[in-house]
Amino acid sequence: MTDFSVQQGQDPEELSENDSKHALDLSQRKEIGLSDLLRWIRRKLAWTGQTFRRHIWFFLIMLGGGWGVIFESLRVRSWRRTVRYEFVSTTNSIIRRGLFSTMFTGVLTGIAAVSQVIYWLGLTGLATMTGSILINIVVREIAPILVGVLLLGRNGMLSTTELGLLAMNGEVRSMQAMGIDPFLLLVMPRTLAFTVGGFTLGILFSFAALITGYIISRVSGVITASVWTFFNNVTSAISPSDYVAIPLKFIAVGFVVGLGACLTGLTATNQDTLRSILPRSFSRGMLIVMVVSVVFSLDL
Amino acid sequence: MKTCVTGPLLELNKAVPSFEESGLPPVPFNMRLMPGDCVFVDVYDISRATTFADVCSGLVPLESGNVQFMGLDWCRLKEKEINSLRGRIGRITKRRSWPDFIPVHMAIMLQQLHHTTVSQETLLFEASVLAEQFGLPGLPTVNPNMMSMMDLCRASCVRALLGKPQLLLLEEPMEGAPKELIDAFLRAVTRARDYGAGVVWLARGGSTMHRYYRQGVTSALRLTDNGLVTVRVG
Repeated sequence: MTDFSVQQGQDPEELSENDSKHALDLSQRKEIGLSDLLRWIRRKLAWTGQTFRRHIWFFLIMLGGGWGVIFESLRVRSWRRTVRYEFVSTTNSIIRRGLFSTMFTGVLTGIAAVSQVIYWLGLTGLATMTGSILINIVVREIAPILVGVLLLGRNGMLSTTELGLLAMNGEVRSMQAMGIDPFLLLVMPRTLAFTVGGFTLGILFSFAALITGYIISRVSGVITASVWTFFNNVTSAISPSDYVAIPLKFIAVGFVVGLGACLTGLTATNQDTLRSILPRSFSRGMLIVMVVSVVFSLDL
Repeated sequence: MKTCVTGPLLELNKAVPSFEESGLPPVPFNMRLMPGDCVFVDVYDISRATTFADVCSGLVPLESGNVQFMGLDWCRLKEKEINSLRGRIGRITKRRSWPDFIPVHMAIMLQQLHHTTVSQETLLFEASVLAEQFGLPGLPTVNPNMMSMMDLCRASCVRALLGKPQLLLLEEPMEGAPKELIDAFLRAVTRARDYGAGVVWLARGGSTMHRYYRQGVTSALRLTDNGLVTVRVG
C-alpha cells in the first residue's frame, strides 16, 4: 500500500513532486485502460459490422437494384433508343434461344411427373383431384423452379459473364466516360427482359408439361377423357388467387434471376476472374430461385 | 441545363484529384481550354493520360478546386446532368472500350443514340462517311474481336468525332498509325476545331503530335508530379 505520510528528512517540495508524478501515473493508467477498452469495443463492433455487411451486402444491393429497375422503368426518359435496343435483343435472346430447351424440359416433366400423377391418382381412385394436384405441384411449384434454373443457366450466366468482363476490363468505366449509365443501359433492360422471358417461358413450360402428360396418359390408356375435358378439369382447379399468384411467381423468378445475374457481373472487381464470378453467380441464382419459390408458397 | 460556350470550354481551377481514386499526385492542376484550342499534354506514362482525361471528364473526385466543362462544375451537377454533359465529349482512350457483345457499328453510334434524338439513318450516314475518311471500307458491322487493332483505331476515330463533340480528349490517338490515317485524322481534328471544339491531346513527347501537328497546338503542357507545367512548343 502506498504511504503518503511525510517521512523524516524528506524535502516537502520533493514529496509534493513525487505525489504529483504518482497521481499522473495513476491517471495515465486509468486513461490507457479506458482507451484500450474503447478500442476493443470498437474492434468488436467493426468485426460484427463487417461480418454482417459481408453476408447481407448482396441482399441489400438486390433490394436497391430491384427498386432502381422498377423506378427507372416507370420513367419515360429512361427508355432511350439504346435501352430499348438492349431490351429487345435480350428478350429475343432469352425467348427464342431458350424456347427449345424450355419446351423440351416441359415435355420431360410431362412424361416424368404429369403422366405419373395422372396414373397414380387414377389407380388410387382420386382422379377428381388430378386438376388441383397438377396445378399445385407442376404449375405452381415445379415450373417456376425449372424455368428459373433454365433462365439462370442459359442467359443468367451469359449476362454475368458479359457484364463481369465489362467491369473487370474497365469497359464500364469507358461507358461512364461517354455519359452512359451502365445500370440504365445494361441492368434495367436485361432484368426486364428476364422478367418477360420468365413469364413467357413459364407459361409455355406449363402448357408443354400438361399436354405431354395428357398425351402419354391417353396413349397408355390411363385416361379416356378428351383433351378439352382434361384441361377443363385443370382450369377449374385454379382458384382466383392462383390466376394472380402463378403469373406473379414466373415474373418474380425472371426478375430476380436477371437482376442477380446482372448485379453479380457488374459488381465484379479487378481481383475477380470468370472462375470466381461464375460459381458465385450460379449459387446466388439458385438460392434466389429457391427463396422466391418458398416465399410464394408460404404467402400465397 | 444551361451551358456556357462563350467562356472557357474546359477549365481546371486548382483542381486537386483524389490520390486514392486516381493515383495522380495530389497537387493543384490548372488548365484553360477555349473553344477551338488544342492543348498538347506531354505525359511520360500513358495510364496517367487516361486518368487525366478522367479528371477532365469529371470521373475522378477532387479533394479541392474544381473542373468546369462548358461553364458547369462537374461536382455541382446531378448524375443525369453529368451524363448528358459527358455525351458532348468525344474520346479516344487507351482503356478497353469495345464491348465484345456489341457490334462495332452500334458501339460507334452508342453515345449518339443514347444522348441525342438524331435519327439512326442520319447517324449511320455520318458514321459511314467518317469511316471512309479514316480508311475503312464502310461502317464495320462485325464484333470487335473480329477486327484488327488498326481497324479498331480507325473505328475509335469515327466514334470520337461522330456527332460533332464539343471537346475531344485524345489519348495518344495515332500511335503506330500509317501516314494516310494520321493525315485524315489531323484534317478531322482541324475541322472539329473550326466548328469550335476544344482538343486535349495527351501523348508521350516524341509522338505523332510533335511530328505532324506542332504548328496547330495552342499551348503545350507537361503532366509532372508538380502538376501541369507549361513547356515551349517548337
